[in-house]
Amino acid sequence: MPTRSAERASGSSPRRDGRRRRPVLVVLRPYLYILPTFFFLFIFTHWPILRTFYVSLFKWNLATPKREYVGLANYAQAWSASVFWEVLGNNILFAAGTVPLTLGIALALALLINQKIRGLAMYRAMLFYPTMIPMAAAAMIWLWILTPNYGLLNYYGKWFGLPDIHWLGDNKLAIWALVLVGVWKRVGYYMVIYLAGLQVIPEHLYEAAIIEGAGPWQRFWRVTFPLVSPTTFFVAVMAVIDSFQAIDQVYLMTSGGPGNSSNLFIFYIYQHAFRFFDMGYASAVSAILFLILLGLTILAFRMLHRRVHYA
Amino acid sequence: MRSRPLWRVTVHAVLFGGALVMVMPLIWIVLTAFKERNEIFSLVPQWLPAHPTFNNFLGVLDAMPFWRYYWNTLVVAFGILAVQLVTITLAAYAFARMEFWGRDVLFILLLVQLMIAPQSTVVQNYITVTRLGLLDTKLAIMAPYLASAFGTFLLRQTFKGIPKELEEAAALDGCGGFRFLLHVAIPLALPGYLAFGLVSLTYHWNEFFWPLVVTETTKSRTLTLGLGIFAQTTEGSADWTMLMAATLMVIAVPLGLFLVFQKRFINSFMQSGLGG
Repeated sequence: MPTRSAERASGSSPRRDGRRRRPVLVVLRPYLYILPTFFFLFIFTHWPILRTFYVSLFKWNLATPKREYVGLANYAQAWSASVFWEVLGNNILFAAGTVPLTLGIALALALLINQKIRGLAMYRAMLFYPTMIPMAAAAMIWLWILTPNYGLLNYYGKWFGLPDIHWLGDNKLAIWALVLVGVWKRVGYYMVIYLAGLQVIPEHLYEAAIIEGAGPWQRFWRVTFPLVSPTTFFVAVMAVIDSFQAIDQVYLMTSGGPGNSSNLFIFYIYQHAFRFFDMGYASAVSAILFLILLGLTILAFRMLHRRVHYA
Repeated sequence: MRSRPLWRVTVHAVLFGGALVMVMPLIWIVLTAFKERNEIFSLVPQWLPAHPTFNNFLGVLDAMPFWRYYWNTLVVAFGILAVQLVTITLAAYAFARMEFWGRDVLFILLLVQLMIAPQSTVVQNYITVTRLGLLDTKLAIMAPYLASAFGTFLLRQTFKGIPKELEEAAALDGCGGFRFLLHVAIPLALPGYLAFGLVSLTYHWNEFFWPLVVTETTKSRTLTLGLGIFAQTTEGSADWTMLMAATLMVIAVPLGLFLVFQKRFINSFMQSGLGG
């Protein structure tokens, strides 16, 4: 459909009323090109953002379709719900555990792999492949590895004197099991992003550093690190945003438990929307999450600008 | 300096150790999938299956509509990509090479999709999909992804790089407007399309949460969901050999393709990171 109108716009339209219609079509042409994109974008991106804030002002249970305006009561409910704060705390802990570990290991691996060494393609494939598989599959693999008694991790843990641990049944450890899976799944991806950053560092900087007598350690801190730090910052914010979206592994590995000790934001929203059918409250929590992520995104862009400015 | 043998050995040792830790889970599930069920309940893990068997894979095919899920996943992933290719091409071309009122504002409105987390709008999108009568259809899984800010952004960069003179020359030869897009711009952007296509297919092949929310029956469920449901029905019986066989069946084809076209995949994901 958009193809045909575009074709007409490009000049093959009937000549009869050409004088009056062609200019209109020429003006409309760009809008016709972006129309399909904005059609879907409006329905599934812009509209739901606005609706989230709107619906968050109502008490609305899907089981009883009558909506009742309650003002900010849903937000007040979140504020006074201890579970909400627990979930927020869990998510911050999850981000604080996942992001530095992932990025630190990713940068180290990228530095090692960014040299002329044999077997490079093999190493890269071995480190990157978890990015390719579904989180659902990763969750299954780790459920099996973490399982008590027969699990691989417990067996090799014994070598280091660890007792038989029921990782997912312990309210202190369950979230760290999720961190472990998160790091394993994402580290290869961030390694590749770092590789892209490292490869644009001009070789002559290193050559100059070597002539100046800088060792590998100094070369890293004086050349590499300053030049990859804008990447690091941007990537870190992206990774934090990512960690606020984690859901598949929560759903499949812990269901947020034991208790709510590994419950993260999206799973909390899921519970309220699709188990308790409380759309108003779920929307209020979505709105809060939305604002948190928006704040982080704005922070990322601001800092990025500042860094670029200094460089 | 770099070719010092000690340094080389260290680099290889660290990389090999790291890579081994990453690959161990995969090796472990592959080996588990070929074991007999009673073999796994040993307090000392046995790496190699004592009597390698295909029974777990056959059991999975009996226990869940695997091929149905496979078909659904293929339809969803390729369906999304097919529509995306049309929407992103047109939008990217307009944003890259046309002047129009409100262009910058509209471009920011497009980028909103990159900035917001898709998960934070799941509740509202569920309501929308329900109202459109699409609940429990493959179209419902596809709908929110038919426009792609990332794809548009990526292609726009390529289209911007095409010299103005080329377009003018082509117009003189009667290859202007839409025909220029079709015969010149798109062929020049093929690497961009390939990168976008691989990332899009991988993402939607792997997706779990949105399909979970909008599907109710095997009619529209995808592989990842099938795996999740299978896990929850077998959880009590601790049927790990079957579950690992099912997991392996879900990841086998994408993983195989990755191993063959490793460089292409990795380059595509590199670009995706730079785009957002």
